[in-house]
Amino acid sequence: QEEQNNSTPSFDFKSYMLQKANSINQALEAAVSLREPAKIHESMRYSLLAGGKRVRPALCLAACELVGGNDSMAMPAACAVEMIHTMSLIHDDLPCMDNDDLRRGKPTNHIVFGEDVAVLAGDALLAFAFEHIAVSTLNVSPARIVRAVGELAKAIGAEGLVAGQVVDISSEGLSEVGLEKLEFIHVHKTAKLLEGAVVLGAILGGGTDEEVEKLRKYARGIGLLFQVVDDILDVTKSSQELGKTAGKDLVADKVTYPKLLGIEKSKEFAEKLNKEAQEQLAEFDPEKAAPLIALANYIAYRQN
Amino acid sequence: GNSKSTQFDLKTYWTTLMSEINQKLDQAISIQYPEQIYEAMRYSVLAKGTKRAPPVMCVAACELFGGNRLAAFPTACALEMVHAASLIHDDLPCMDDASSRRGQPSNHVVYGVDMAILAGDALFPLGFRHIVYNTPSDLVPESRLLRVIVEIARAVGSTGMAAGQFLDLEGSPNSIEFAQEKKYGEMGECSAVCGGLLAGAEDHEIQRLRRYGRDVGVLYRVINDILEARTTSKEDENKKKKGKSYVSLYGIEKAMEVAEELRTKARKELDGFEKYGERVEPLYGFVDYAAERGFSLES
Repeated sequence: QEEQNNSTPSFDFKSYMLQKANSINQALEAAVSLREPAKIHESMRYSLLAGGKRVRPALCLAACELVGGNDSMAMPAACAVEMIHTMSLIHDDLPCMDNDDLRRGKPTNHIVFGEDVAVLAGDALLAFAFEHIAVSTLNVSPARIVRAVGELAKAIGAEGLVAGQVVDISSEGLSEVGLEKLEFIHVHKTAKLLEGAVVLGAILGGGTDEEVEKLRKYARGIGLLFQVVDDILDVTKSSQELGKTAGKDLVADKVTYPKLLGIEKSKEFAEKLNKEAQEQLAEFDPEKAAPLIALANYIAYRQN
Repeated sequence: GNSKSTQFDLKTYWTTLMSEINQKLDQAISIQYPEQIYEAMRYSVLAKGTKRAPPVMCVAACELFGGNRLAAFPTACALEMVHAASLIHDDLPCMDDASSRRGQPSNHVVYGVDMAILAGDALFPLGFRHIVYNTPSDLVPESRLLRVIVEIARAVGSTGMAAGQFLDLEGSPNSIEFAQEKKYGEMGECSAVCGGLLAGAEDHEIQRLRRYGRDVGVLYRVINDILEARTTSKEDENKKKKGKSYVSLYGIEKAMEVAEELRTKARKELDGFEKYGERVEPLYGFVDYAAERGFSLES
């Protein structure tokens, strides 16, 4: 964490994130207005405006700025990515999927609005994400907007987000899940949408192909990092709470990096991912790269 | 006029396009890892007995303005993908709870409710992906593609088909007309409009296609209800959810009047395309087909 402060001495990550989350929340609020039929729109807004750190849209805006764009170019895409994220959570929580009653301390969408409305609200958010990018993006050529639409569609469909969910579902209860499969799940379930967020920002901000690909590599790295750190926190948290219960993670039915690699190797892997991700930013203006460097460190060193 | 549309062979036009579209859809969803999601998607998109009316109308509307059908095929396929996604979700136990569609078990009956939800969630973006990566860029400028994307997103979204499904589920009697119009009119409207947009039609022509497509979509539904009512006994009729059809709401006489009105309205819109000569004939043909079901389509 020392390192993090030294590399970007003048950058205040906390206030940067607060300011971005604020403008993202305002943009989301304005984008999904209360129209008829009211219940579907209430249901969409209930989950979309429920808070959250807005990491994905912040990544989108930061990537856009890094390549020389401004918020007006990427804000609709940033909102679209959050709509997709929200939609996947609404459908994930359904009784036929993970069957969750609570999310972020609030009753899940289908508990409040019913399963039928929850399915439709998710579908509507998915469709609206594409409409919003196509209609509301300003100061960007149609060619770049179309490219962004294609990238988003790839990130969330059967070769992206949905693939991760499918393999996750079909791996449940299996005793033998290898590292390769675990990585497939995380890369698709978590990293693809993070990648989409960054790549959309870079495309819409006017990045060159080379810049877009560098940022894609950065995003893939931090996407996987996100999940490896999650797994490590799971283990370290439970050992703090339960004292020394060596091997507890080994009997848990969920496959994790510590379970497959051991905790030390997992931490090394996380370090490596963070380092490699940040290397992709080396040739950019350090001042402009500060938010993405800080976001990588935030993901690597967060405590929850 | 009538004599023109009898000369034009809609059945050949339609079946030719149908087999081309089936082939393109087959290629568009090739099976890869994880296989089960692709199988679930293919099961519904490539189901036997689908008439491919939305894509055929899209191609015909594009050709009306002299557009190349190659420009319209990717969007035509996308219409089938998003349409299939909507139908898979409509059939779910928490929605219409339909265990079969077109004489085959519903998607969730075969693949499970979780896979059916995910298959729908994957088919929506696949439609947009397919348009972006497969439309020949020398035939269609990006600005037109963006309008097509918006048109499709709105048709399936919270004020389009999703709204229609919601109002259908709510089942309050005065929302029935609206619900059916949303669900059937929306797809017809979207298909016709997308074809026009791809060919670069003028805004007033797009408006005309909008009204035409909606009328044909609703007409198709009303005639379906009438045909069903004629072959269904009173007892079966009572079992159906109340107010789901024009006939159960207005009676057969009134439904037939509504159908005749829609048919006249749709044909009148097409009269505005006179300057395009015989290229408008497929569109007249769809109106007559929706009203009369003059031939059967086998894929």
